Amino acid sequence: MDLLQPGVLFQLAVGGLLAGALYALLACGLNLVFGVMRVINLAHAELMMIGAFIAWLAWRYAGLHPLLALPLAMLLLYGLGLVLQRLLIERIVEREELTSLLVTYGLSIILVNLGLLVFSADFRAVPTLQGAFYLEGLDLVISKPRAVAGAVSVVLTLAVYAFLRYSRTGKAIRGVSEHPEVAMICGIDVARIRGITFGLAAAMAGAAGVMLSTIYSFSPDTGADFILKCFAVMIIGGMGNFLGALLGGLLLGLAEALVGGVLSTQWAEAVAYLLLVLIVRPTGLLGQADAL
Amino acid sequence: MRSDLALGALLLALAILAPALVNSYQLSVLLQVLMMIALAQSWNLISGMTGYVSFGHAVFFGVGAYTGALLLLAGVPWWAATAAAALLATALALPVGLLTLRLRGPYFAIALLGLNEVGRMTATLWVGLTQGGDGIALTPALLPPLRTSYYALLGLAALATLGVGAVLGSRFGLELRAIREDEGAAEMVGVNTTRDKILAFVASACLPGAAGALYAFYASYIDPMSVFLPALNIQMVVMVLLGGRGTLWGPVLGATLLMGIRELTWAQFPALHLALLGVLMILVVLFLPDGVVSLRRKRPRPAGRVSEECRERGGAEP
Repeated sequence: MDLLQPGVLFQLAVGGLLAGALYALLACGLNLVFGVMRVINLAHAELMMIGAFIAWLAWRYAGLHPLLALPLAMLLLYGLGLVLQRLLIERIVEREELTSLLVTYGLSIILVNLGLLVFSADFRAVPTLQGAFYLEGLDLVISKPRAVAGAVSVVLTLAVYAFLRYSRTGKAIRGVSEHPEVAMICGIDVARIRGITFGLAAAMAGAAGVMLSTIYSFSPDTGADFILKCFAVMIIGGMGNFLGALLGGLLLGLAEALVGGVLSTQWAEAVAYLLLVLIVRPTGLLGQADAL
Repeated sequence: MRSDLALGALLLALAILAPALVNSYQLSVLLQVLMMIALAQSWNLISGMTGYVSFGHAVFFGVGAYTGALLLLAGVPWWAATAAAALLATALALPVGLLTLRLRGPYFAIALLGLNEVGRMTATLWVGLTQGGDGIALTPALLPPLRTSYYALLGLAALATLGVGAVLGSRFGLELRAIREDEGAAEMVGVNTTRDKILAFVASACLPGAAGALYAFYASYIDPMSVFLPALNIQMVVMVLLGGRGTLWGPVLGATLLMGIRELTWAQFPALHLALLGVLMILVVLFLPDGVVSLRRKRPRPAGRVSEECRERGGAEP
């Protein structure tokens, strides 16, 4: 089979965009937290892994379909996000960047290793969706779980975008992101908004985890692969820029799929790291020069 | 200053005498403490002083271990192989520093987060050079004896501490700490912050490079998992934070405390050990940001001593 045939490339591209939607969902949450409180949450991918394990537990012990576990996981992670924000993040928001990096790094170490203690390093999966769609007109085969995961990710990301853009709370979040002091003067409870933001980001990570559980096998330390990709996405799209992260996620998925198809999957893993070196243009595609 | 020298001399004398006093198991524990001190001082030099956190310093340890092991097998004497390992790690740090430290902000931390993984993947996939996941076993006849390894690591730890002491007392050290406190302000008063950061980072890479090679000779077997060790990154961060970042004795104290914790928990529950380190990291950052060494300084001092110190530094009486 010639890999460079247009039909094959199209096939690869669609698969890549679907995987990219998952990166986008994860990275948008990370970006949201960074935008609002200038905290880089190194434990973000571990929140995703909690979502994946909730889906696995719900499926294994209650027979719950991942799509039904999705709201449950999002709700639980929203709560966890609120608690983490109150206990840890709120204490360090005003402090230097180093502090937030170290605290969230510590949090990620705790979560990974507690995960390893409880669940061991075995790989798990939630194989509930199977088979593939065949689109005859386009001569395209899409695996069902990937299609569902991609679609859910895009819908959720856009829903959060709409929430930020049109709802009162969303506007408050953007206000705090732009200028905390002014937001406070306007009567916005900044600490409460930060809590909601962190909870929302955690819920998005949880949703990404549930979708991840349907398409990949995973173990407690799978998050480490994803956090790097998230940063690549953030940097491609521009730090703190929500739509930029969506675009960046899709681009990363696309690039990985094409490189993986044409060269090898090992090279595909390196794509994110190479893109990270794009740091030479640190403001990304849509980022503001003064975002940091 | 003088008391630092006295303390250093005392510790050094004890460490030199130690092999005559302890059994070989205890000696290998001490050897690891010394290795950790060298690693902690390395992390201290870049991250403790400038505030630019390196989450990937283990990569230089891994590169050093592989360089040392391969050169030893090629017939190079162990000390020359160690020096070469330090040089190669330093050379590798230069492009990394040039790419990531020209910018302010979190980019350095993010880029370094994956660097160790890149090293591990390279060592696993480049089978022709590294024998991949099988690892490299060193012929016992080529290896320096345990005592020699011990003294070599003692030399390295002493050199690292001396180096950090020299930097702390120099203008360069002041500039590095100025970067940590307020990089913009440091730039305004004419500090070449980019050059300083890159210099500190590159210099800090030679210590894990040499330590990696010496570790390979001590362990006599290495594989990608054992030297590009993610846990090592975590330990370096915790040692320096726990002891006191940007200080002379903090990393020494932190390394010793960490090895104590490790002796108690690592062998039985590695995951629990790391989770504990995570808890420790958060607690220290939140409640003891200047580390254990700051506990001593916080005690109120008799007025006479304070003014004495002020005169010594040429300052006014408080």
